Amino acid sequence: MSTVHERPHDIALAASGTKPPLTQRPGLLSQHLGTALVGAIIGYAIGHWLGNTISSHYPYIANSGQNAIADTLGLMLGVVGWLLGIGALNYPLAKLVGRQPSSEVEIQGWSKYFRYSTNHKTVGLQYVVGVLLFMFTGGLLAMAIRTELLSPTTHVFSPDTYIKIVSEHGTVMMMMATSIVVGPLGNYLVPLMIGSRRMAFPRIEAFSFWIFVAGYMVIFSAMPFGGFPTGWTGYAPLQTQAGPGMVSYLFGFAVIGLGMMAAGFNIAVTIINYRAPGMTWSRVPIFVWSILATAALLTLATPTLFAAGVFGLLDRTVQTAFYVTEHGGSSYLWENLFWFFGHPEVYIMALPGFGIAGEILPVFTRKPLFAYKVGAAGMIGVSLLSFFVWQHHLFQSGINPDMRPLFMLTTELISIPTGFIYLVGMGTMYKAKIRFDLPMLFVMALYFNFLIGGVTGVFLSDVPVNVTVHGGFFVLSHFHYTIMGGLLFAFMAGLYYWLPKMTGRMMNRRIGLWHFWTMFIFFNLTFFPMFIIGLLGQPRRVFTYAKNLQGLNDFSSISAFVLGFSFLIFFFNLVWSLYINPVKAPDNPWDSLGLEWQTATPVPAHNFDRIPVVLADPYHYSEVNAPAVADLGPSSPPDEPSLSGAPV
Amino acid sequence: MKTIQDQGYTSTPEEAEFELRAHIGSIWSGGRLFIGMYTFLLASLVFAYFYLRSANNGLLWRPDHITAPTHYGWAVFLATVATGIMAVTGQRRLRGGALIDWQVAGWTALTTSVIALILQIWELSSLPFYPGSSGYASTFIGFSVFNIMTLVITSFWLETALARSHRLGRERGRNALLSTDADAQSWRANVSAMTYFVGFAALSGAFLFAMFYQL
Ligand code: HEM
Repeated sequence: MSTVHERPHDIALAASGTKPPLTQRPGLLSQHLGTALVGAIIGYAIGHWLGNTISSHYPYIANSGQNAIADTLGLMLGVVGWLLGIGALNYPLAKLVGRQPSSEVEIQGWSKYFRYSTNHKTVGLQYVVGVLLFMFTGGLLAMAIRTELLSPTTHVFSPDTYIKIVSEHGTVMMMMATSIVVGPLGNYLVPLMIGSRRMAFPRIEAFSFWIFVAGYMVIFSAMPFGGFPTGWTGYAPLQTQAGPGMVSYLFGFAVIGLGMMAAGFNIAVTIINYRAPGMTWSRVPIFVWSILATAALLTLATPTLFAAGVFGLLDRTVQTAFYVTEHGGSSYLWENLFWFFGHPEVYIMALPGFGIAGEILPVFTRKPLFAYKVGAAGMIGVSLLSFFVWQHHLFQSGINPDMRPLFMLTTELISIPTGFIYLVGMGTMYKAKIRFDLPMLFVMALYFNFLIGGVTGVFLSDVPVNVTVHGGFFVLSHFHYTIMGGLLFAFMAGLYYWLPKMTGRMMNRRIGLWHFWTMFIFFNLTFFPMFIIGLLGQPRRVFTYAKNLQGLNDFSSISAFVLGFSFLIFFFNLVWSLYINPVKAPDNPWDSLGLEWQTATPVPAHNFDRIPVVLADPYHYSEVNAPAVADLGPSSPPDEPSLSGAPV
Repeated sequence: MKTIQDQGYTSTPEEAEFELRAHIGSIWSGGRLFIGMYTFLLASLVFAYFYLRSANNGLLWRPDHITAPTHYGWAVFLATVATGIMAVTGQRRLRGGALIDWQVAGWTALTTSVIALILQIWELSSLPFYPGSSGYASTFIGFSVFNIMTLVITSFWLETALARSHRLGRERGRNALLSTDADAQSWRANVSAMTYFVGFAALSGAFLFAMFYQL
């Protein structure tokens, strides 16, 4: 491993007498994942001990068999220890004595991925691995669920364990794997796409990643505490009655909420301020629009989740009664707060997916993006409207019946901008000579799946239908079609498309095709039967079902196992293409006009030698006399624009 | 501010100027976005307050119109507003080039903010109700937690801005802070963003004070 001192700019640093920050010094005697883990363990032990010392004699704790104060303090100081260990608190503490930020140098070699890095490309790759890890664990839990549902009479798990597995699966998938999908691609690509050399707040960016990893551990710490039985939605009053695992859930939500706010905040500010000269709003790539809309939702909707988590923790620790109806609180308060965040959250997941698709489509159809402005407006429209629909989750519980038509209307309204975004894709593909490369196949699958997910959503917004199918497998299938069928397929498309730029290696096409077809076919075979199962009356979160549904359930389970296997093919492809049989990626393997493809591969630390001057949007494919997209500075021939929109 | 030279490449003067503008713009828009974010956080508390108040489950919203100790409430309220006024006045004087005035106003604001913080914590030890005894009691505890958070952020921001002003002043001379030097511009943008937040904290503090002590 080469050290920081071997790089030219570090030599300059060394000459100026400035030491690299502790997070970026070589060797074990610095700050990295190891010290973070040690910090977390020590912090947890101190917090738990402190909590016990303070409160074990309190009457409501003494004989209860659980001490939520000790558990909460343990987790809280555990997270503080983690942040101290990784180096996240170095700068805030140094600020107290008026220090300037330390230099943004970065150690070289693989060990940088285990450190508090302020380079957006390192953070992007950290996020890729993080999100894949979250998905993998959530996926294993899904396999456990489908194993249990193989038979209504022979059981692998107790009903109690089953609901805890379902809850962890839902929480990890929703809160960790998909809600932060802006993390990997957004952090890596946004600066490159807008022609910037950096993020606005690199330390906040790094914080968002590392606090997320802490959130992952907190959510999983529920398992040794006995899990939580509420599903990912954590509804009270079950929340109030549940055991100590609930503390991990509530605290985990607050921690993850911090990460989401930090991520959204930094990305939004970067897009607003760091666009290269000439990158006007009408030239901003559609992916960046989607990330901006998502970042707005992350920053504005997540504080409610944070507040809801804090209220829940207060109920459990200092015995307030926010969610306890008998004491002047209300269980519906949680439901409102949760869904006020929860519905925008759905678009936090959906919008980046459509942004990825919008970026990939023109490249593989060699056509300009159809109705670009409508697409961008649709994304902003969706993010605004998403704040006004949350009550449709409460059609069955907690809503004043007179309010139902209003929220039915707002929900149906939101399908209009969503429809626009969809039509942008259809219009781009219309009459195109499509290149069926892997990213394109995944994008086409997204449109197929999302059509099914979206249309069933329109049905569900209708109160009478909702009343009939609520709480069953129909709803379950609907949201798997939108989130997994939509976002996850888009994410895969994005990975196949951009990994060559991020890693400098091409993904193997043949293995990729195996991955695609198994994932696409078996996704549909897993989830389509669930619509029928739902209409036939199978409820969610129950470990058994009517005997006559076994055939369909078995079919779905076996398909799910193959679907799970398709992810192993993807992981195999990653290992194969990156390590076993690496094929160097050209700078621009897909002949894209996007700014991110005009840099060298691997991308230099500073992204661009000269800050580019943007001259047009990047979608002028196959146009005669297409305008140049950007002037990249002296490295391109002086009077010849650097990028031509003419067919490449 | 660390410049991009740290990353091992050089910028043309135009690029350096462009990045400085972007940096200052980020502090400006980041400050406003942070206020937006915080508004949604406080709005969740306000929603909880009015939701439970209108539900009045088991007639337990606020039995006997019980109220948290008003003298503490007034003291915290006045200290928070004083912090806001000091920060805003200091910022005005700084714009007029009076750095020392800003520093004096800043230290005063920090003192009042810390006093508010201590009182807000201390009040919890003398509440006339049990946290879970009513809807009001619960939301009041929520308010206290959020207010403590706001005051910690305010104090931290004030202290770090002051500490930086002293350090930069020592290292480069007082006037450097009023110059067009990149670090000075960055510091002034930070002070401006902080002033907005402190002003916002004072306004929202006044609103919440009215909700919990007067309504
Ligand atoms: C291999 C892929 C997957 C399979 C086979 C699968 C299967 C299932 C099943 C059968 C349930 C319902 C269990 C029950 O209610 O009894 C469930 C619940 C759920 N799944 Fe998945 N799932 C998969 C991937 C995903 C993904 C990618 C997401 C991402 C958002 C997700 C989110 C959820 C959520 C939120 C729940 C509801 C949990 C709750 O009721 O609280 N799943 N999944």
